Amino acid sequence: MKLGAKSLDTKGKGVPFKFYTAYYVSTYSRRKAYTLRELLEGVKTADKNTLFHHVFHAVRAKHLLPPRYNNDFARWVGEEVGDEELAAALSDISGAEPATIEDIRKEIVAILEPAADERRGRSEFVFVGMEPVVVETKYVAHTLAEFLDLVEVVPGESILYHFVTRRVLRSAGRNDFSTWLDKNFGLAEVADELSRIDPLAFNSEEALREAILTVLKKRLL
Amino acid sequence: MIERYIQFVGEDEVDAIVKLAERLQDLSILHVNSTAAGGGVAEILNRLVPLMRELGLRVDWRVIRGDQEFFTVTKTFHNALQVGAVEVPRRFYEIYERWQEINANELDLDYDVVFIHDPQPAGLVKYRKRGLWIWRCHIDVSTPNPEVWGFLRRYVSQYDAAIFHIPEFARDDLEIPQLLIPPSIDPLSPKNVELPPTAVERVVQKFDVDPERPILLQVSRFDRAKDPLGVVEAYRLARRRVPGLQLVYLGSPAHDDPEGEAVYRETVEAAGGDPDIHLLMLPPDSHYEVNAFQRAATVVMQKSIREGFGLTVSEALWKKRPVIGGKTGGIKIQVIHGVTGFLATSPRTAAHYAVYLLREKRLREEMGAAGREHVRRNFLITHQLRRYLMAIAYVAKRAMWSD
Repeated sequence: MKLGAKSLDTKGKGVPFKFYTAYYVSTYSRRKAYTLRELLEGVKTADKNTLFHHVFHAVRAKHLLPPRYNNDFARWVGEEVGDEELAAALSDISGAEPATIEDIRKEIVAILEPAADERRGRSEFVFVGMEPVVVETKYVAHTLAEFLDLVEVVPGESILYHFVTRRVLRSAGRNDFSTWLDKNFGLAEVADELSRIDPLAFNSEEALREAILTVLKKRLL
Repeated sequence: MIERYIQFVGEDEVDAIVKLAERLQDLSILHVNSTAAGGGVAEILNRLVPLMRELGLRVDWRVIRGDQEFFTVTKTFHNALQVGAVEVPRRFYEIYERWQEINANELDLDYDVVFIHDPQPAGLVKYRKRGLWIWRCHIDVSTPNPEVWGFLRRYVSQYDAAIFHIPEFARDDLEIPQLLIPPSIDPLSPKNVELPPTAVERVVQKFDVDPERPILLQVSRFDRAKDPLGVVEAYRLARRRVPGLQLVYLGSPAHDDPEGEAVYRETVEAAGGDPDIHLLMLPPDSHYEVNAFQRAATVVMQKSIREGFGLTVSEALWKKRPVIGGKTGGIKIQVIHGVTGFLATSPRTAAHYAVYLLREKRLREEMGAAGREHVRRNFLITHQLRRYLMAIAYVAKRAMWSD
């Protein structure tokens, strides 16, 4: 079902969508891995923020990773250990809803466990934690029209915060956009289609934004 | 002043910095280091402190004092912490402690948040009466002289948090939170502002370098850690495949570093009178010339064997020059292998990548654009400013989440 451009000035139940943005304080976790076995142990025991950092920062800052790797574990295994097969498997993990950080941990462990031996990286893997610092932006959407317009212009970090960070780290279960569209406007189908987007399929906020916009335009315009 | 950075990072980033600063308006903040001018820390504080004040923050900056003996001690500590194998006489520790006490008596340390930069004033924490104290380490202490680090660690452990450039420099033997903040370049500084092409050509010609032929450039001290002999060897190997290639190694005279002169002489000898090897010694404030050479270079090299952060890499990337870097220290987070340049582990691999880049103009342009974007997103002074504000918010446990 399409709403059409003429029907987007509705305010639904009247709850506005306030866009926030998040930046991340990086912290040293006091854990390093020199071998695949130590990497596996690190993944098993790292706190959720550390795991989140190493898996999702590829979406946040594409240029910190060669684009062929989707997360830090894949890069280390590929470039430092030299096992491209295992790196490819690690690059393929899914971060789509309703995956929590514990689901992602299980998936990485399942891939690493059969291969975790004493092979060493040319340099160590350093586990880095992070803590989000959330900042209010000037952007507020009261209507579907404003929401659609703002999704295109808010900072990329804001897209990632609402679509990924809060869901994964705050165990919100669902991304903020889907929650708002469903609860405030009853747009369950649009919400569901957004929820099917896997953020780990993208290596920049802009690519993720484009995927979200494509769904919104298709469903709303 | 902060508005001038909107052209580089956008209005939303600057808005976020303003909002973060609003959260910290009630706090008094102090920076303490060991020199007002000269050296990377003073350069950063000279830019950061005015920006923080402009955001309405109550920020002061104090410089510790000491006699020649004290600075000999701190220089020795510095070398012992970075290089490891240095003899440190016992009395050096007493001299260090005496000057901490003198400075603690003379300086007003009564602030809500105190940043102590580097080892020289680290011992001031012993005299803290209140406030949150953060030790900002600008050097690589990953493989230090154990005795000197053991001495310093007793002080550092008393801080509320420490900040290092990269995770590899952080310490497993510190229980306090360790934050990671890379340094930054200022796009508005004389070293990084845009230059007219004629000015670039003029500067290069002034030093007898031919702007019409390809230039391989390294900007760094004549220091073994920067591997100048490896750079000459890489150039030689590359020149066999790229006739007409010139090497410019741009350094500064190091009057306080006798080894620097020896390394310079060795490099001159290795150059063997090749007229296309230009080993230039420019005064430390030759920002304009450095800027011009980085813009004139076809490919930039930072072939260090050991490196603190290596901001010359970001300087070159900002000017859209791909960089061949040594796989060490902060170079690894600036040179993304195959994206913003290449990481090399020997003169041969450095030469291999140099030839590849010198031949492929389109690749140079793609990597140059990626390099500038990488710096724009990660290593500009506004990022460092935001990260400092976030560090304060984190240590002071100010609201992190929106709900």
